[in-house]
Amino acid sequence: MRDLRALESDLLHALQRLERITKFADVLVEASEGEGIRIERKAVTPSRQPTLRGAVFRAWAGERWAEVATSSLDALAISRTVEALERVVSKATRSPDPPGEANTARKEWIDRPARPMRDVPFEETISLAKDAQAWAMGVPGVHDCQVSIAWSEEERFYLNTAGARCYQVLPRVHGLVVPLAMEGGRVEFDALIDGGLGGRERLDFLRPETVAQFGRNATELLHAAAPPTGEMEVLLDPSTTGTLAHESFGHGTEADQFVRDRSYLKPILGSVVGPEFLTIVDDGAYPGGWGTIPSDDEGHPGQRTVLVDRGRFVGGLHDRETAAAFHVPATGNARRADFLSRLFVRMTNTYVEPGDWSLEELVRETKDGILMERATSGIEDPQGGQMQLKVKKGHRIVHGERKELVTSMALSGKVLDVLRAVRGVSHRPDFEISPGFCGKGQTDLLPVGSGGTYLLTTAIVGPA
Amino acid sequence: MSAGGTAADTAFRVADRVRAAGPWDVFAERTRRYEIHLNGRSIEMVRGPIEVEGYGLRVLRYRDGRTGAGFQASTDGSDAGISASFASAEKLSRFSSFPAKKVDLPSPRSGALPATEVLDRTLWDDPLGSLQEYVHVLLGAFDGKTDVAPSFGSVRATLTETTLANSAGLRTGYAHTTVDLEVAVKSFGGAEGAPPGEYWVNEATRRLEPGRLGPLVEEWCRYARDVRRAGPTPSGDLPVVLPASVLTGILPSVIGFRLTGGARLLEIAPPLGSPWAAESISIHDDGLAPWAIASSPVDDEGTPQHRRTVLDRGAVSALLYDTIHAGAFETASTGNALRGIQLGGFRDWRRFLQPAHAISTTVAIEPGSGGTDAEVIEAAGDGIWVQQLGWAIPDPISGAFGGELRIGYRIRNGRLAEPIRGGSVGGVVMAPPGAPSLLSRIEAIGSTATLCEWVRSPTLLVRPLTVVGVRG
Repeated sequence: MRDLRALESDLLHALQRLERITKFADVLVEASEGEGIRIERKAVTPSRQPTLRGAVFRAWAGERWAEVATSSLDALAISRTVEALERVVSKATRSPDPPGEANTARKEWIDRPARPMRDVPFEETISLAKDAQAWAMGVPGVHDCQVSIAWSEEERFYLNTAGARCYQVLPRVHGLVVPLAMEGGRVEFDALIDGGLGGRERLDFLRPETVAQFGRNATELLHAAAPPTGEMEVLLDPSTTGTLAHESFGHGTEADQFVRDRSYLKPILGSVVGPEFLTIVDDGAYPGGWGTIPSDDEGHPGQRTVLVDRGRFVGGLHDRETAAAFHVPATGNARRADFLSRLFVRMTNTYVEPGDWSLEELVRETKDGILMERATSGIEDPQGGQMQLKVKKGHRIVHGERKELVTSMALSGKVLDVLRAVRGVSHRPDFEISPGFCGKGQTDLLPVGSGGTYLLTTAIVGPA
Repeated sequence: MSAGGTAADTAFRVADRVRAAGPWDVFAERTRRYEIHLNGRSIEMVRGPIEVEGYGLRVLRYRDGRTGAGFQASTDGSDAGISASFASAEKLSRFSSFPAKKVDLPSPRSGALPATEVLDRTLWDDPLGSLQEYVHVLLGAFDGKTDVAPSFGSVRATLTETTLANSAGLRTGYAHTTVDLEVAVKSFGGAEGAPPGEYWVNEATRRLEPGRLGPLVEEWCRYARDVRRAGPTPSGDLPVVLPASVLTGILPSVIGFRLTGGARLLEIAPPLGSPWAAESISIHDDGLAPWAIASSPVDDEGTPQHRRTVLDRGAVSALLYDTIHAGAFETASTGNALRGIQLGGFRDWRRFLQPAHAISTTVAIEPGSGGTDAEVIEAAGDGIWVQQLGWAIPDPISGAFGGELRIGYRIRNGRLAEPIRGGSVGGVVMAPPGAPSLLSRIEAIGSTATLCEWVRSPTLLVRPLTVVGVRG
């Protein structure tokens, strides 16, 4: 990997140029590399991360931000890029100070796992993927199994005209096993997924019995019934609870939506929104999390931010601009998907804190309803306060007992109704954070973690 | 060097430096992008030029009756960078194994490329000026409205020169534009004290059309107002009317996968001739549909695009291939190698970063005899019209889909009635003969097709789909 710090003098020179015409400018330089392997029964497809690197310069243009970006990092390209930004900024007619405090942090974070994936021979990764495939396909009825393993090392270097200098290298590892079962033209699958910051140890979840269980799950889904529909008691598994946290009090608390007056949550900041045992957190400093970032893309450290504290909605996620608007500190949530994408307020790892119920107690408490398992997607409605979560499968709960398997379904409802109806959250041994990707609108996908334990509430269940 | 209306030569420069026996191809892009971001009625940020020049280089190696394919993408166009990319692709090809004895890369053709319209010349010549004018018209369309305003949005224009080259001697290219529009329209105020409502617009097109904005904004405002007064969604297996703007979020992910060589390799593609849809429906894959996001003269491997019937009166009539899947089944590529497909069917603008996959282009549904939207609604009798789903995000493998109803309308006595919202609508897009699915339960097909991102379709009446409302 090329060390982006070698560009420091060129970048500082560029910022000095911009400083003559703007009250604030910053630059983020990014490079990443990595490898991946995807296998199916009939094909093996290795891949390498693109050799993609580049820089984005941002400057305050009097009354708004202006940005330019380039995928070339030689001195000439940087100079041309800065010229383009100078042309935009020099036309600015007003020049109040940019909103918020400029960060001045000077830090470096280089995450060095015990065994980095870059040191793992490709043959070993392929062998692990083939083993996982064999463990799944050893289950009668499993027709094929897709296994993907990928790692990346992302390097980000941030500098600004106020003196900030933040450098970080983040190694991410991700594994996915999808056994496919087929019968009479019907195809079903289950998905075993994990990932986070780290090295080879992140793939230790790929164990024979675990993978085989997912193979059995896929075959069982071929004969699963359709889920019941309507308003009912829903017991969410940890992945679904995490998606609930992400879609309910994640997007709605991204404070750029507050500034735009586009969040149904803004008027109720400080209000009680759930029971006393409900706490929702965004944590950019969560050890090893898929969405963990030591520093955001304005140089603020990733941190634990409590959004709902024992049932009360206490705060949002901020970049420098929204923090200034609400007279609070920035929370380390200013993120770019990459150097080609603009900065937005974004989540990191968002989760519901564990409670004190056991799963068995929650099943009994549910009485009649549905256990929703394996979240596959979610979407929020920040203005209207509704949400939609989808899961791959579930189990009926009848008279307080877990019963037959059912196929995919969607949960929908008003966030505040769903949170007010929360009756229990299970204990810490059930806690999981799942890796995923989140967009702002339909674009700018970046890695986020979502997590929690089992959570019991009431919502509408429909087809998915 | 230039080709097909583009001055860029990225792929050709890479090709000139590849010194290798055996097949290879390169797909390259030189892109400029400009964006204007809105905060309410003010401009929050202007971005651009965002400049990217890069290529994806694929090396194919045959051994033991199979093909090894190695792919490396890079923005490093220096001699050293190209050599490193080639070495990486070559190395990856040694670990790759695909069941194709041979892959036929497209050869140079005599004559012009197939014609389609993918370039907004005005936007190309003055991107920032065109965007600024568009935003001016967009915001102006809200003038005088006291109960509705944009709260958030962006317009992003991408101008790309795509070039392709391969070891069979192909050297071609074309220029194209895309525009991504996102606007959240908020309704508010009034004496009734109802909470604000929002209609969220997301649209990918090939051109800026400020002239369309006036009537469009009126429609968006009406939907945003109706969100505030919407009642609960009913429950049951109901007749459901789906316009093209909703179908584009449902059909392509499933049809675009299940009817491809990729699905055939997994042995989950339907057999040719099998009836997987109602007899009344025919569906084409149209890579040349004017101004469609998936259209281009050639696909992302350089094979000329076509219009091809994939479902003929309900029966599967063709599968779609890129070159490598075509090689696996000893058939020819259908021009369906596309790159840059992301979650939910979104096509990313940095396509050179990804290898090509076999996938549908524009899913074009043959118009039927159902008449106007009003006549399709009349045929429904009592049911619902879906105006917008939260995110249908179908599962391409099982075909299941479902989404929260953001805004829709009750249909009563054959006419649109009150707005509804909440709950969900879903089912299975396509299923084996005898199993219920959206495509097998189409009862009426409108007579006019509308292009909406990945779909060109008339309005469809499906009887029934499962609808789950608040009082389920």
